[in-house]
Amino acid sequence: MTEPLVHLHDVAVGYDPEHPLIVEVDVEIVAGDVIAVLGPSGIGKTTLLRTIAGLVRPLDGHVELGVAPRGGVGYIPQRLGLVGNLSVQANVEMGVRVGLSRFYPPFFAVPKAQQRYAERAMEDLGIAHLADHPVRILSGGQQRRVATAKTVAQRPKLVLADEFLGELDDDNVDIVMRTVRTAIEAQNSAMVMVEHHEALAKQVANRIWRIQDGRLVEELSR
Amino acid sequence: MKRATAVGGGGLALLTAYLFFDLVGDWGRMAGGVDNLLVFVRESLWPPNWSVLQAQSYPVCEARFEFTCSVAWLGMVETLKIAFVATMLGFVLALPISVLAAGNLSSMPVAVPARVALAGMRSLPSIIWAVLFVIVFSIGTLAGIFAMTFYTVGYLGKLQFESMEGIKNAPLESAKAMGMTRLETAWLVAIPESANQLLSHVLFMFEYNVRHGTVIGLVGAGGVGLYINTYLKLGQYDKVVALLIVVFLVVLVIDFISMALRSAVNEAGDVERPSWSSIFLPASIASAQHPTPMGGTVSDEGE
Repeated sequence: MTEPLVHLHDVAVGYDPEHPLIVEVDVEIVAGDVIAVLGPSGIGKTTLLRTIAGLVRPLDGHVELGVAPRGGVGYIPQRLGLVGNLSVQANVEMGVRVGLSRFYPPFFAVPKAQQRYAERAMEDLGIAHLADHPVRILSGGQQRRVATAKTVAQRPKLVLADEFLGELDDDNVDIVMRTVRTAIEAQNSAMVMVEHHEALAKQVANRIWRIQDGRLVEELSR
Repeated sequence: MKRATAVGGGGLALLTAYLFFDLVGDWGRMAGGVDNLLVFVRESLWPPNWSVLQAQSYPVCEARFEFTCSVAWLGMVETLKIAFVATMLGFVLALPISVLAAGNLSSMPVAVPARVALAGMRSLPSIIWAVLFVIVFSIGTLAGIFAMTFYTVGYLGKLQFESMEGIKNAPLESAKAMGMTRLETAWLVAIPESANQLLSHVLFMFEYNVRHGTVIGLVGAGGVGLYINTYLKLGQYDKVVALLIVVFLVVLVIDFISMALRSAVNEAGDVERPSWSSIFLPASIASAQHPTPMGGTVSDEGE
């Protein structure tokens, strides 16, 4: 049996112990999963994602991570988490850095051998020509592709993405999802994505988690 | 305005007035004060003695331009050198301390001592640091450099850690979830994200240090202040005024240069500023005077 990448043991999600957003979440994420989390705004989808990422402590239960704490999780927040003043390449290389030793000095350039992961990711997402541009001058759609390239270059075992397909047109959704899927298959990893567009989510995901009435309901598993 | 706000504001105004009158005490002391000042200005300060711009008689000036042997030039150049070196040293020393002091980059047991250290450096006025370093290094520029560096670290460190605390959360969260170390997060995320403000603070600190060159010079810590101190002791106030005017002009020039540099790195520099005419004149007249860079006029923008 495949070892789960993440196991949530009876987790309660939220910020206020008196009013948890989601309770009794007991699920596993295994390699190959592409999970879409659906539900109305403010119901706790992002908080669930942040809890899995280790950014929010569960109110109850615990999250068992089966991936390396350094480099094992790739997280694309709703606001993308890019450094606007740095170039596209420097942002994408940040993903590569967490694959190096934690003692590798951050003021040194990424070794040539690892740099190719960043270059490959930029090429796959069609942003290689923007490598030297500061991220702050790019359009919303281009920034989304940079955030995706950063995560693809990281090669994590688990990708967590919060509405990252939002501002992309149909062509770019295809490019981004194809690249992410290829990366997930190559790494034998998994992805959890929070999405508002239900049709789009159902199209790309093989598992659907719907949040309703403070519970997580698994709707689809294929 | 809400009643509570009005009562609070009124109470604050009354407290301020009470404390002011309490501190002044005897208003009779002000009698003749303005006249005394006018006499002092007429007899001792004005007109400024511009001999400070002429070459000193000793040592003999061998420079191509005699002006470069003047008290004003020698003092001001030394002050600028001290201010530059102290600002750069202060920046380099303040950066790691501000990373430690930033609440979003360090835990509180680390941040609190770093903040206490910065507050300690700020709590002593520059002139006290200058006195201390004059005792250590004796009179001269080295004492000035150390004094300025110390309070630069205190001020710049505080400005920098507040800038770092003000950056957006998303890049920090992404870095944390990825497993980046604190050093990586500081160097690759926090510092670049707050770079515009850091540069702005460094430029401000340089201006501030040039102005303060006059103050720390008073206790013998080098620069133009050393000459001002000498003239004050000799009662040559007209020369003091001349030197202060020179300092003012130099600070003004630095201010304009730093303004230009800051607007180059700030995103605000990308935004076209409203002209005075667009504020005060009707749109039709203003747009005729100030066509937009794209070739249209101000009134076209809404279309």
